[in-house]
Amino acid sequence: MYRLIVMHETRALARTGALWAILALLIFAIAFAAWSGGRSVSRQVKGASDAASYEAAMRDRMRTETAEYEAKVEATGGPYEFATVRHAPGQGPPQGTNAGAVGGETAVYVALPPTGLAALSIGLSDIQLDYLPITMGKSLAMTANAELENPVNLLAGSFDVAFVVIFLLPIFILAMTYDLLSSEQERGTLAMILAHPVSLRKLMASKLMARAAIILMVVTGLGLVAVLTVGTQLETPETWLRFGLWIIATLVYSMFWFALAVLVNLYGQSSATNGTILAGAWLILVVIIPTLISLVATTVYPVPSRMDLTVAAREAQSAAEKNMDKSLNAFYAEHLEYVPAGDQRAMDFMTLGQASANTIEKALSPLYAGFQVRRDQQQGLVQRFQYLSPAVMMQLALNEIAGTSGQRYEDFLQQAVAFRAEWNDYFAERFLRQDPLRPADYDSFPVFRYRPEAFSTVLLRLAPSLLGLLVLLLGVAMVPFFGIRRYQVAAR
Amino acid sequence: MLEAINLRKSYGDHEALQGLNLKVNAGDIYCLLGANGAGKTTTINLFLNFVEPTSGTARVNGVDVTQNPLETKRYLAYIPEQVMLYGNLTAIENLEYFARLGGHAGYSAADYRSFLDRVGLQANAANLRVRTYSKGMRQKVGVAIALAKQAKALLLDEPTSGLDPKASNEFSALLLQLRNDGAAILMATHDLFRAKETGNRIGIMKSGRLVQELSTDEVSHADVERIYLEHMH
Repeated sequence: MYRLIVMHETRALARTGALWAILALLIFAIAFAAWSGGRSVSRQVKGASDAASYEAAMRDRMRTETAEYEAKVEATGGPYEFATVRHAPGQGPPQGTNAGAVGGETAVYVALPPTGLAALSIGLSDIQLDYLPITMGKSLAMTANAELENPVNLLAGSFDVAFVVIFLLPIFILAMTYDLLSSEQERGTLAMILAHPVSLRKLMASKLMARAAIILMVVTGLGLVAVLTVGTQLETPETWLRFGLWIIATLVYSMFWFALAVLVNLYGQSSATNGTILAGAWLILVVIIPTLISLVATTVYPVPSRMDLTVAAREAQSAAEKNMDKSLNAFYAEHLEYVPAGDQRAMDFMTLGQASANTIEKALSPLYAGFQVRRDQQQGLVQRFQYLSPAVMMQLALNEIAGTSGQRYEDFLQQAVAFRAEWNDYFAERFLRQDPLRPADYDSFPVFRYRPEAFSTVLLRLAPSLLGLLVLLLGVAMVPFFGIRRYQVAAR
Repeated sequence: MLEAINLRKSYGDHEALQGLNLKVNAGDIYCLLGANGAGKTTTINLFLNFVEPTSGTARVNGVDVTQNPLETKRYLAYIPEQVMLYGNLTAIENLEYFARLGGHAGYSAADYRSFLDRVGLQANAANLRVRTYSKGMRQKVGVAIALAKQAKALLLDEPTSGLDPKASNEFSALLLQLRNDGAAILMATHDLFRAKETGNRIGIMKSGRLVQELSTDEVSHADVERIYLEHMH
């Protein structure tokens, strides 16, 4: 019986233009979103590797010069010396021997490697830089948030597969189901069918199955094609685990919208009324509540503008430059071990730079800390209020699955900050001691190795959103499941 | 075959049906007459379990409608005022779907064609999508569904209203065929002439009550109209 009605519904649907229009739009949207997501990820990966290889080439050049210098020193038997900054070009030791020049003027890039599914949900990765330059002196926070607000991206996000699933898929689902029962009622075919030995429950379930099968096969099929074309690391089981989670999340989210359509249909209103109610529900759940949550988050916990940060950084910089002598004295007061034997005025510019950077970092650190606290508070608020909207839960879930969540980025930032300290310490010490770098030292520079999070950590962070969606689905599905008995086929 | 025992249906304060007792046997064509709102459609909806009775029992082939709705629907065929079909399927496809829903999956394409032949649907129309059909053609498909379902009881709700006299006459002829095959037919109608001509029993309803029953072979056309109008005043 189920099979009969499912087949009949599929045939009837296939003969309407609406189904083909919906499928064509869905396929086009997902294909475009996957292409755009894939482009964004590959641009990021390419950007990171371009930047890294540019800086590496600079260091290689320095190393070559140093090696030539070392060979010359060995041949002539002179001392192997440290290059001061104010040296005459072409004479004396090359810059490559100066740890301050190598560590401060070339950068090493730390990169957050995208997961295999990153292209499916870009998340905030277009404003959170996935690769950061690490140099001696400059504090990381200044570069981490160098990207200024892009209002369009902040508001709308990017057109990725997650956007299609969260925003557009419900519209397609509702377009196919808003009149699931009311159309049969209005056409008069409901009475014809129910004069046969078919229960309303069986009829509704079959009609739903036909539509859900079409939509979900297309969506998961396209998802698979998207992973195969723009996904990466296809050989690792983690990518497929993540894709499995992606399918589960998408199914649960879609079924919520199907259940909502059934629920509204059971109140026996006209198709037009059902359509209006469901469109309103979409607007409230997908647009208004997420916007309100974001509005509340930014109003209750306003983050200082990144623009303000940049301005404050510049002010601190110029203040530090004005007080360069004073700050130098302050610095030496703290680090007596670095005071050179000779005259203080003979100190080169790089030392002053190092000292002033320290001062600036100290001046700005409360600002950055405040910024960080606010961002954590905002994220916490969104986490708490996500249960108000399936769209927010789904966005958090998909970001987590694709590895573009705020928390994964936070973890990366912490690793980057720790590495920056390591890099800074390595070069600052050699530099302040005026210990010349040898070519062989180039092999022992600190190297950043991203420590991936345990998959269990990812699952743990994913659980609240996914379980929230599941509970919501069961809640919405429960009402029609028990309420269907009371549906009156014949209006009075 | 169709039996109503003290059947009541009220909507809030309004009593749509006030204790109906009615019996339609195999081979009967029972015509329910009465003004709009007299309770004719409510009676049919109660037999179909489309509405729940407030009290009383409706039985089809001896089976209680509210207790075993799905079983009773195996015996029933329903032809409403407008037989509504799936517009983008052909008559054959519609017929096949409804026959299968009724539990008859064994028919061949030729069988479906012969059902449509028997109800007089033009052969070239059978493969057209029913969107293009006239009401008379759709009512014929409705009867073909009843034939395919081998219905023991038919519930007809003003099936001929709006049909031209020729189509109406053809429809009546089909009902007589079904009756001769042993079906019990309950038909709500406003057509006094058809009721006397086709039916063998007539029930007149007023405000949710069955006020009079007649046997058509005992009264003339004029009598039917006179008695009917007497009750309506």
